[in-house]
Amino acid sequence: MLVIRRRAGESVFIGDGVEVEVLEIAGNQVKIGISAPRDVLILRREVRLTAEQNELAANSMSFASLAGLFGKMRHSPQGPQSPGDKER
Amino acid sequence: MEIETKYFGSVSPDAGSVVEFPLGLPAFERERGFLAIEHPRTAPLVLLQSMSTPDLCFLALPIGEVDPNYRLQISAEDRAVLGLDQTSDPASGPGVAVMALVAVRHDGQISANLMSPLVVNRANRRAIQSVRCDGAYSHQHPLALPPAGTGAQERPCS
Repeated sequence: MLVIRRRAGESVFIGDGVEVEVLEIAGNQVKIGISAPRDVLILRREVRLTAEQNELAANSMSFASLAGLFGKMRHSPQGPQSPGDKER
Repeated sequence: MEIETKYFGSVSPDAGSVVEFPLGLPAFERERGFLAIEHPRTAPLVLLQSMSTPDLCFLALPIGEVDPNYRLQISAEDRAVLGLDQTSDPASGPGVAVMALVAVRHDGQISANLMSPLVVNRANRRAIQSVRCDGAYSHQHPLALPPAGTGAQERPCS
């Protein structure tokens, strides 16, 4: 990983079209401004991880496998037992 | 109107409750409507069947089943999408349902995404996948399930 120290108001260019500027540093947060062409996708890391995880979550599984995996969950000793649950 | 589902053929929307994601979900931005189905054989799992894509059915668990001490935090923007009061604490009331999406990897590892819980406003059935930035929870929280029965040989003799 390339590491560069920058102060507020300073910026770096990435490739031809992307500029990342440090706008403000306050406490443990840095406010950055990104100028990029419209076709460059900019995502917070958490959103990208969520998107990848959602893709994984959408993958196929048979209902029988699901029932096998989760059908016993209610009997798990660590599972919370709430009164008023429907039939187990 | 019947809905084509991944696991149950075509069903009436009455088979579950319809939930609307006005923004979709990350990587599934166009999927706005889901039917939340609970089946006795997979309880407490909630099957989130896409209303528009028959082959898309997410699996979710009530967040308390994954982490009974989970502390929900959602941004003002997400509250606005849900139509929630900006000041009330949504985690404390019965007005919202909070779930974690479950992913099963090809190697069998099962995890729940606690970083990005699904939050449903029960009053208007609006939902959002609320992505946390505070690093408090993992997007791949490992799930320890009781070992799955593989058939008759696991049943005790009678």
